[in-house]
Amino acid sequence: MSAESVPINHEQEPASPKRRGISDLAKREERLAYVLLIPTLIILFVIAFYPLGSVFYNSLSDRRFASGQESHFIGLANYSNLLSLKIVELQPEVDDTGQVVVDPDTGEIDYPPAVSVLPREPRRYRELAQFGLLGNRYVIGATDPEFVRAIYDTVAFTVITVALETVLGLGIALVVNSKFKGRGMMRVVMLVPWAIPTAVSSRMWEWMFKDTRAGFFNILFQDLGLSNGQIPFLVDQAWQLPAMIAIDVWKTTPFMALLLLAGLQLIPSDLYEAADVDGAGKLRQFWSVTLPLLRPTLAVALVFRTLDAIRVFDLFQIVLQQKRYSMASFAYYRLIDGQLMGYSSAASVVIFVIIFVFAILYIRMLGVRND
Amino acid sequence: MLNRKKLTLLGLLVILALLFAACGGDAEPTEAPVGEEPVDEEPVVEEEPTEEMMEEEEPPAEEEPAGEEEPAGEGEEITLRVLAGNVGQELALTQAAAERYMEANPNVTVEVVDTPDFVQDRLGVYLQLFEAQSPEGDVFQIDVIWPGDLAEHFVDLNEYGAAEVAGDHFDAIIENNTVDGALVGIPWFTDAGLLYYRTDLLEKYGFDAPPATWTELEEMAATIQEGEREEGNQDFWGFVWQGNAYEGLTCDALEWVSSNGGGTIVSPDGVITINNEAAIEIVDQAAGWVDTISPPGVTGYGEEDARAVWQAGNAAFMRNWPYAYSLGQAEDSAIVDMFDVSPLPAGEGGSPAATLGGWQLAVSRYSEHPEQAADLALFMASAEEQKIRAIEGSFNPTIESLYQDEEVLAAAPFFGSLFDVFTNAVARPSTVTAPQYNETSTLFFNAVHSVLIGDMDAEAAFAGLELDLEDLLGFETGAP
Repeated sequence: MSAESVPINHEQEPASPKRRGISDLAKREERLAYVLLIPTLIILFVIAFYPLGSVFYNSLSDRRFASGQESHFIGLANYSNLLSLKIVELQPEVDDTGQVVVDPDTGEIDYPPAVSVLPREPRRYRELAQFGLLGNRYVIGATDPEFVRAIYDTVAFTVITVALETVLGLGIALVVNSKFKGRGMMRVVMLVPWAIPTAVSSRMWEWMFKDTRAGFFNILFQDLGLSNGQIPFLVDQAWQLPAMIAIDVWKTTPFMALLLLAGLQLIPSDLYEAADVDGAGKLRQFWSVTLPLLRPTLAVALVFRTLDAIRVFDLFQIVLQQKRYSMASFAYYRLIDGQLMGYSSAASVVIFVIIFVFAILYIRMLGVRND
Repeated sequence: MLNRKKLTLLGLLVILALLFAACGGDAEPTEAPVGEEPVDEEPVVEEEPTEEMMEEEEPPAEEEPAGEEEPAGEGEEITLRVLAGNVGQELALTQAAAERYMEANPNVTVEVVDTPDFVQDRLGVYLQLFEAQSPEGDVFQIDVIWPGDLAEHFVDLNEYGAAEVAGDHFDAIIENNTVDGALVGIPWFTDAGLLYYRTDLLEKYGFDAPPATWTELEEMAATIQEGEREEGNQDFWGFVWQGNAYEGLTCDALEWVSSNGGGTIVSPDGVITINNEAAIEIVDQAAGWVDTISPPGVTGYGEEDARAVWQAGNAAFMRNWPYAYSLGQAEDSAIVDMFDVSPLPAGEGGSPAATLGGWQLAVSRYSEHPEQAADLALFMASAEEQKIRAIEGSFNPTIESLYQDEEVLAAAPFFGSLFDVFTNAVARPSTVTAPQYNETSTLFFNAVHSVLIGDMDAEAAFAGLELDLEDLLGFETGAP
């Protein structure tokens, strides 16, 4: 900072006779500043820019992972294969006389399979979804529906888990911030889920979600009379995401609580005393004192958790494998299945961009700025 | 202002320099696998960070290619790492074999490394080691479908004395493991899908033989399931198998399709045959098992999930590999002496098919002690060791003479009675589609999985699969 501010200052007095002398000194200082910056820059380059650069470079090629096969520069083809979407109208089935075919049982109009209308050249579009609008029927085609689905699932996962974790984490933080017997113990116990490695806790939850009555949740649901004890939580598409969200909330709420607890402890207690004197109730104190003062901490915690949740990998890879992907596990399985280094690098760059967008949104929204 | 600009410019320059240097070093690490040091790759710009970078990045590439290493001398202490599987008793048996090898070779320490159960994840571990050309692994347990895809990372075992023993093994497996004349893996055990059935329950419900067709199996499973549930076992299911979206489903589904006369996805002469009536019919039939005679969660089952249900006595039939036999007879099993194995059922008008499985031992090209590692691999795949594995773990030997061995037959009688099943097993199309077998298989199991979970019917799934395979492989389509 000082290296920058010095030259800027003396530039405001141009052509002064003293300029040369100061400038020499400033230059020397500047040089020193650069020298001192070098270790930081090196570390930054080694651990941040090099990997990122090489991923980006790979994403423009058809390089195969762990293979001596020659790779070629293919421009943005990987990206267009990942992300191309197309909406095509589906014409109803017509019989020989030109009449629209209607299913005699349901009274609904018959449509041909979506494959027949989606383009195949130069790239094949697969069916992602269908929807009706103004009496017409449309198909959304995607060149890689699995990736589009992975983006959707990951964003949904992120929004829901972060929201739940914030609310629950704040509740827990408020509890362990108040004075009661065994508070120190409580704070330690609270951290247990966070301390267990994800690989272990994922397995544990996988067993609890077992599809037979060997699983905790199936027993629970059956005892509550909600099911016959045979719900395949990790296979049923409607249950997969809720299961993932449950695991993540259980695991990461303590982390959120810890961050927020640190924020709560920064709030001076005399503010509450003053509020008491003024006659503000506990609820009013929370809204008018606690929450505003907690905002900076909350913002940091939200950014942390959101960016972490978007690149969720371990949970999905361990529990769902190839049944359903997060963006990161999609990239991993493309790398392994087809040794598609270029393609999965492109997927990783897309993840990077999405994270970047979220980061900027947060900074704008929450005013996380230094100045 | 000027200075700030300069700084930015400098920063940009350094980043660019780094990019070029990094990419140059990274883009062709495996192109010259033997003996070439990448010294000529000078960093483009002389910035300090760049040099630091190159230092950081070079060691893996600098690693001396293995082939030229001296074999370990008598007294030299060396460590070999075996990357092995851990399904059922696999790991314990491999560790015992390693102990025996270390006793005979006191200067060698053998570390057995556990790898993931799911084949795809195990492949992921291997590929990461190969990409880094890491000497961390010496002996790799590789699947029967991998020699074609991974050949470039393994030494030719014929050069290390495997040529003399190769003749003892089944010809078909040796052929499968030979890529361009090089033997990339020594067969360790072979596998074929089998039908496990409960002899006591079949008798109880008046069936005198295991089912010969899938429809018969359906009927028998439904009857037994209904009866057992009426008697109070609400957790009982008729038939368990591997339905998760992974390589195991490719094996199971290939058995259905092939046993119904629907071909083998891609024929050995390179024709995409999967989109046919017989295949569609049988996969639709299989989708009907989910939540009727099979648990709704079966579409998330791997081998061990199926075995857990079966071995607890909660299933009448199971499709699995031979390893489950000795575990079913172990002390902690609920079904000791209450089950037997038979060939899998066939479709109407087809003949039974069992997918060929099995694992080989390969020696990494990047190993520091390839000679000793090859010796270890050949020891572990020798007739004596295979016999121990056959008796203790019911792992099928790949050495033909062991199928006449009395001790082996006493421990696993079906080795004798089902000998034909093992020798006539149906291979997955890994040779014809190499090096794209994994992608082929992923497309196939995803298509079948989407039918099993009710996303679409088999007709639509296979029509799409056919197009995908055409795009991927560039082969013609045709009838099986």
